[in-house]
Amino acid sequence: MTESRTTAAHGGAIGLHGIKKWFGNFQAVDNVTLDIRPNEFFTLLGPSGCGKTTLLRMIAGFEMPTEGQVLLDGSDISGLLPNQRPVNTVFQNYALFPHLTVAENIGFGLKMLGRPKAEITSVVNDMLKLVHLDGRGHNPVTQLSGGQQQRVALARALAPRPKVLLLDEPLSALDLKLRKSMQIELKRLQLETGITFVFVTHDQEEALTMSDRIAVMSAGTVRQVGSPWDIYDRPAERFVADFIGETNFLSADVVSVADNRARVRLSSGAEISASFPADVTPNGSVTVVVRPEHARAGAPTGTSALRGVVHDIVYLGTDTHVHVRLDDGTAFMVRQQNARSGHCGFSKGDTVGIDFSDDVAQILRD
Amino acid sequence: MNGAEQVAIEARKQDIRSRWLLSAPALVIIFVAAIGPLFVMLLYSFMVKGDYGDVKPWEFSLDGWTSVFFQRDIFDDTLGLADAHISIIWRSIQLSFFTTILTLILGFPTAYFIATRPPHTREIWVFLVTIPFWTNLLIRTFAMQQVIRNEGLLNNALIWLGIIKSPLQIIYTDTANLLGMTYVYLPLMVLPLYASIEKLDFRLVEAGYDLYATRFQVLRKIVIPLVKPGIIAGSILVFIPSLGAYVIPRVLGGGKNMMLGNLIEMQFGAGRNWPLGAAMSITLMIIVMVALIVYVRNASRGGSGHV
Ligand SMILES: Nc1ncnc2c1ncn2[C@@H]1O[C@H](COP(=O)(O)OP(=O)(O)OP(=O)(O)O)[C@@H](O)[C@H]1O
Ligand SMILES: [Mg+2]
Repeated sequence: MTESRTTAAHGGAIGLHGIKKWFGNFQAVDNVTLDIRPNEFFTLLGPSGCGKTTLLRMIAGFEMPTEGQVLLDGSDISGLLPNQRPVNTVFQNYALFPHLTVAENIGFGLKMLGRPKAEITSVVNDMLKLVHLDGRGHNPVTQLSGGQQQRVALARALAPRPKVLLLDEPLSALDLKLRKSMQIELKRLQLETGITFVFVTHDQEEALTMSDRIAVMSAGTVRQVGSPWDIYDRPAERFVADFIGETNFLSADVVSVADNRARVRLSSGAEISASFPADVTPNGSVTVVVRPEHARAGAPTGTSALRGVVHDIVYLGTDTHVHVRLDDGTAFMVRQQNARSGHCGFSKGDTVGIDFSDDVAQILRD
Repeated sequence: MNGAEQVAIEARKQDIRSRWLLSAPALVIIFVAAIGPLFVMLLYSFMVKGDYGDVKPWEFSLDGWTSVFFQRDIFDDTLGLADAHISIIWRSIQLSFFTTILTLILGFPTAYFIATRPPHTREIWVFLVTIPFWTNLLIRTFAMQQVIRNEGLLNNALIWLGIIKSPLQIIYTDTANLLGMTYVYLPLMVLPLYASIEKLDFRLVEAGYDLYATRFQVLRKIVIPLVKPGIIAGSILVFIPSLGAYVIPRVLGGGKNMMLGNLIEMQFGAGRNWPLGAAMSITLMIIVMVALIVYVRNASRGGSGHV
C-alpha cells in the first residue's frame, strides 16, 4: 500500500468548459461548466435522464462534446481517444471480461500498456488485497457474486493508476447492506489512492455521505455545485431543495436586506431572518425553505413563527414526522427526534406553534 | 409394497411407454434418412463391383477400400499409391481450407458491419445477405463462370481499363474453384458470425478501449474470443460443403481441377465402380469428422486462453 500512497498527489483536475452535447436534435447536456479538483471525491447527482452518464462518457472519451472543452490538469484532452486518456471507468454493469479470470481482468489495462509481466503480477496482487479478494485471482469472473464483481471492476479500473476514476452508479445493482459497506470501501480507496473520483448517482443520501463536493444536475444542466452541507442546508433553488431530502416551502415577502441576511415576513405575519444565494438580491415576494428537522413544534405562543393544526403524525422509530396544516393552508412538516421513548406529545387536531432558529431559513432563487 | 406404490410404478411405466411412442417418428426419420443410407453405403464399399455398375450382392472384397489410396499396376499386379486420388483428396482439403479462411476474412468485417447497424437496418442487411439463396446453385455458378471466363465481365473490364493486355486465365483453375466456393459459401459464414457478434456486449469493447487497448488489441483480446462460437459454427458450415463440392468444380474448375465430390460421382457414373465410390464417400466423412474434432478441440482450448 506504500505504492498507492506515493501516487496520492497524482489525482488529476478535470475542467469542463461550456460543454454542450446534442444527440441528433435532442440536447442531452446544455452548457455545463465544472471544475473538479485534484484528489476530490466529486459527485454528479440528478434524476434519471439528466445527462450524468453522457457527461461522464465525455470525460472518458466515448462521446465527443458538440461544443466545449474537456481539460485534464489544464490541457485540452477533447481530441484524445479513450485509450489515450489517463482516465478509467467503473461501468454501471461492471462490464467485466467474461472470458478472463479475476487476475486477467485486473491486469488487462497494464498489459495493454505493455508493462512487464513482473510488474503486472505485483500490481494485480496489490489490487486483490486492496479490494479484499486475495486468493481469488484465478477464479473466472462469472463465478463471483455481485459485490465481488463490483470490486473486481474497481480493481481493474484502479490498477493502471489513472489520474481520474469515473464511476457510473457503481453501487446501484447491490442490495442495501452491501451498498452501505461498499460506500465506506469506496471512500477508503479514494483516500488511499489519492485518485480523483467522479462519481455518478441518483441516490441523494449516497451523494451526501460520500462526496467532497456535489453537482446537482437537472435536464442537462448543472443547477448547483457545493459541499454536501451547501447543497443540503443552502439549496439555491426549488429543484435542488426538492431533490435533496425533504423540505418545507413557505412564501414570504422581503422586508429588508443587510449583509448576507434578509428579513422576510411570513404569511403568519411573523418576521424571520433568512440567508440567500450569493448571486441573488432578494426583493418582493420570495420562497423560503426550512428543513423539517430545523423546526420545532410546541404549544402555540404569541411569538410562534407559524401556527397550524396537526393533521397527521408518522412514527418512524428514530424520528416522528408531525404534519401540520398552517393557517394559510400550506402543508408543513416537523421532524422530531425521538430522544425519549413514548408519545410525541401531540395528537391529531391539536393546534401547534412552530418555531425555528434564525440561521436555518434559506431564500430560493426563482 | 402397498397399493399406492404399485399404482405409481404402473404410471411410470405408462409414462415411459408413451414417451417412446411420441419419439417414434423422430427415431424412424433418423434411421431411415440418416443411419440407413450410411449403413447401405458401408455395405456397398465392402462388396465386389458389378460389371456394369452396381455391386455383386453379398460377394465381399476389400478392393473398394484399397483402391481409394492404391492402384494395381496393370503389368505386374503390384500395388502402388493412387496418385490421382490422393492429389484430388489433398487438393479438396486445401481448397476447402482456403475457402474457409477466405470466407472468414471477408465474412467477419461484413458481419461486424451488419451487427453494428441500428436494429431495424440490420434486418435489411441480413435479408440482402440471404438473397443469393433464392437462386439455384447451378445458376449462381454459371453466373460466376460468365464473370471470370476469358471473355467475361472481369477480363473485359480489366482490358478496357488498360490494366491487362490479354485475358487472365482464371476459369478452369483452382483459383476459379476457390472464387466460386468463396462466393457461394460466404453467407454460410456471415450468418452465424452475425448471430454471435450481434450478441456481443459492446460495453466490453468500450471497457477495452478504456483500459488502453488499441483497435487491434480489442479485436484480438475481446471481440474474437467472445464471438468464437460464431467463428466455429461458420467455419464448420463452410468447410463441410466445400469438401464435398460438386457443381462448382464441375463448372468452374473444368476436368483438370476435379474435387473429391466429382471423383466420387465418377465412380458411380462412368467409372462403374460403386464400391470405390462408397469407400470414397465414407473417406470423405471421416476426413470431415477428423477435421471437426481437431478444429473444435483447438478452438475451445484457445477459448480459455490467457491474456
Ligand atoms: N447515444 C444516444 N443517442 C440519443 N440519445 C441519447 C444517447 N445517449 C443518451 N441519450 C439521451 O440523453 C439523455 C441523458 O442520458 P444519460 O444517459 O446521460 O442520462 P443519465 O443522467 O445517466 O440517466 P440515468 O440515471 O438513467 O442513467 C437521455 O434523455 C437519453 O435518452
Ligand atoms: Mg446513466
